[in-house]
Amino acid sequence: MKLSRREVLAMAGVGMTAGAGMLRGAEGAPLFEEVPASVSGITWTHDNAMSKEHYLPEALGPGVAFLDYDNDGWMDIYLVNSGACDFYQPGKGTRNALYKNNRDGTFTDVTEKAGVGGGTFGMGVAVGDFDNDGWPDIFVTSYGKCILYKNNRDGTFTDVTKKAGLETPGWTTSAVWFDYDNDGRLDLFLCSFVDYGSSAHLSCGDNKLGKRYYCIPRFFKPTASYLYHNNGDGTFTEVGRHTDIARSLGKGLGVVATDINNDGRMDLFVANDTVQNFLYANRGMVGGKWQFEEIALAAEVAFGEQGQPRSGMGVDAADVFGTGYQDLFVANVDQEMFSLYRNQKDETFRDAAQANGIARSTRLLSGWGLKFFDYDNDGAVDLILANGHPDDMIENYSPAVRYREPLLLFHNDGGKLRDVSEAGGPAFGRNWPARGLAVGDFDNDGRLDVLVGNNGGAPLLLRNRAGAGNHWVGLKLEGVRCNRDAVGARIRWSAGGVVRSRMKTGGGSYLSSHDPREVLGLGSAGKVDWVEIVWPGGGKAQRVEGLVVDRYVTVRQAV
Amino acid sequence: MTSLLIYVALAGLLAQTDPTEETLKQAIGLHQRGDVEGAIQGYKNYLAVRPNSPLARSNLGAALARTGRYQEAVEQYQIALELQPGNAGVELNLGLAWYKAGETQRAAEAFGKIHEKAPDQLQPTLLLADCWLAMGRDKDVIRLLTPLGEQRPDDLAVAYLLGTALARDGQIVPGQIIIDRILRKGDTAEARLLIGTTKLRAQEYPAALVDLAKAVEMNPKLPEVYTYYGQALLRTGDAPHATEAFRKALEANPNDFGSNMQLAILLKEEGKVEEALRCLRRALQVRPGDPGARYQMATVLLRDGKADEARADLEQIVKESPEFTEAHVTLATVYYRLKRKADGDKERSIVQKLTAAAQAKQQQGINIK
Repeated sequence: MKLSRREVLAMAGVGMTAGAGMLRGAEGAPLFEEVPASVSGITWTHDNAMSKEHYLPEALGPGVAFLDYDNDGWMDIYLVNSGACDFYQPGKGTRNALYKNNRDGTFTDVTEKAGVGGGTFGMGVAVGDFDNDGWPDIFVTSYGKCILYKNNRDGTFTDVTKKAGLETPGWTTSAVWFDYDNDGRLDLFLCSFVDYGSSAHLSCGDNKLGKRYYCIPRFFKPTASYLYHNNGDGTFTEVGRHTDIARSLGKGLGVVATDINNDGRMDLFVANDTVQNFLYANRGMVGGKWQFEEIALAAEVAFGEQGQPRSGMGVDAADVFGTGYQDLFVANVDQEMFSLYRNQKDETFRDAAQANGIARSTRLLSGWGLKFFDYDNDGAVDLILANGHPDDMIENYSPAVRYREPLLLFHNDGGKLRDVSEAGGPAFGRNWPARGLAVGDFDNDGRLDVLVGNNGGAPLLLRNRAGAGNHWVGLKLEGVRCNRDAVGARIRWSAGGVVRSRMKTGGGSYLSSHDPREVLGLGSAGKVDWVEIVWPGGGKAQRVEGLVVDRYVTVRQAV
Repeated sequence: MTSLLIYVALAGLLAQTDPTEETLKQAIGLHQRGDVEGAIQGYKNYLAVRPNSPLARSNLGAALARTGRYQEAVEQYQIALELQPGNAGVELNLGLAWYKAGETQRAAEAFGKIHEKAPDQLQPTLLLADCWLAMGRDKDVIRLLTPLGEQRPDDLAVAYLLGTALARDGQIVPGQIIIDRILRKGDTAEARLLIGTTKLRAQEYPAALVDLAKAVEMNPKLPEVYTYYGQALLRTGDAPHATEAFRKALEANPNDFGSNMQLAILLKEEGKVEEALRCLRRALQVRPGDPGARYQMATVLLRDGKADEARADLEQIVKESPEFTEAHVTLATVYYRLKRKADGDKERSIVQKLTAAAQAKQQQGINIK
């Protein structure tokens, strides 16, 4: 089909300045440049609540998000902070922050007006349109109490956590909105970390320096994560207890929703800290109940190659090798190396980290936020990793390991990842206590920018200057029968004689939420022949032709 | 250690006129002058005529050992001992040949027999202790050398071997006494090595690295110095230099168990499967049946796509070591790859039970703030 004028909604102001000429950066210029707070106006900093007692929640935040909360076509930013809890009473001003994009490279703090300051000891953020009204809602995970902020469509939000039935106890970390039963509504998977006790907290005593230190999560009891079904009336029901999700006790930190076996149902890959990872294969309705089968060990993504559990933190999924199947990634702590799991098309995976230079580059690093994305719009997914050691005293025990660590950038060279961090720019030459990472195009130039949440510091905003000469098409998918955000959609596109494909996964990274739009890299091709979308729930592919390159368009599901 | 012995004492008694005996005399002469290949040929010519000569057999063994042909040397020594049972010199040479061939267990058996017969002989006792250290029998070394250490407080070799065993066995205080004894002799490589290994044991990795780096600097030829230096480097996050250290350790002693194991793991991580397997085979020569080495071998085979080969060994390992969780994990993986789901599920269930038990154990002894 061809897009009608009504179907192609050129977003106001979008792409007006995004001609191909803009993509040509100076030769040898860094791929990413830091946008300082003095320019962006983002003056918020993370309060990690660091104490001499070293309570573990201090070390894990923060998450960050790109979202268009006011639907003006420009990515805004949400930042999660710590807050009051049983071991910490912050001073005035410690809160989450929502920054509105001023469309000129600057942002304005609108938190108070929007009413999304939090107030709990926040961890992460997952953005999704749970009520399919076309306005993104915000879910905040916490040590203590989660918050669901419903978007009021007027620049404000309402805390509907209690009404929604999402008052989840304990310590939650990453969350993902996805439609597991393809009923057209976003459900919620919520990673639960460890049982950190109630009023008293476990301590591992003093380290060799005679100081309290961040206890290794191995010492804490594992917990079960949560799966909430969206009832369609603003409420949710916890349904994990009927499945392997409740039976699998883990220490969840990262989650990505994807379809590992191309059966049209979204599966879940969960990174656990110090216990095995989980891979929940969505088996659909079995015996009158929806079933998830935990298959990580059989799939060879549960343990490291030495048969030992690792410290899984950040995750993501993408078709890295162009096989039509989703590959998986998990970041771990230093000495464990990260894993790039290549899909064998039979619900098993093989670790390809060594062959792709991942193992060598990550041996000394501890990885959190990460994302497969096509930073240079050549059509192949690349990879960015945000790192930082959880132990602030690590340098006293391991001279080669740093508390602050560098970002890593890998370029996909025809199905093989190559470390190109040195070309990344000055920010890649510095070290950061990085945690969350989100990818989004805040200046609408078609080049995906990066936002990194730093523990106890200011966030890092990186403007993408890569991909000079390459073209792109940006899609905002709008589900009608399926979930409005179209999480789980499959996209194919043809440009320059090359057909590529991508899946719109849910979640991924660590504690963070990405720009919901899909930017399709076209390489040097000046036009896109066609784009096909298979919406979640299956059915015939919807073909779109006549798209103008270097523009964002909204594509609505044909009904 | 001792050099291989050549028996020449009887040469003068050989008949001067017997051409066959003249052949032996010439072979011994060549051997003494360093023409080892000529000597080997001479001994073989002689043995072709007089195969039951223990002297020629023993000397041939010594010549073969000198050229690194330890297995052939062992055969000659064994024949010599059949012809002349109880020859102490040949027994020692046999043990040394096993030792050099990497057959540490057999070497230990040979030195053990000599030690039983002559417990006062220092050399075979120290060689036995060295073999036991290589085999991980630290408590046996402590039992063997503690009386000797009291009798010979100034003997650095005894102190070094005993101190190493004590450090490895976690006996920090008696180990420290030995270290102090060595330190009284000055800042030596041996002392630094012992201090470094003690700190390694105590998980004080950066401090251990300093001492072990100094030990390497002072005497890079000190046995096992590169092994422990490599371990300290690895523990402090420097895998590339650790790999170099393990390689140097193996250049000095190809039978170093620890270096073979550590290097194999690093090589496997780099995808160098064949080289990793070579290291593991060598490690298993030193410690036959070692479950850790066999487990690593199985993981390398699995990585190389040889699931069925890995299966047999893993099944045996978990039978012998039922609480070896990692082996159960890998065995489950093997079964799943071999499409034996029921067996895989059974192993998975064992993994879950062992993990839960380990988790419960971890939580014991944690304080409440």
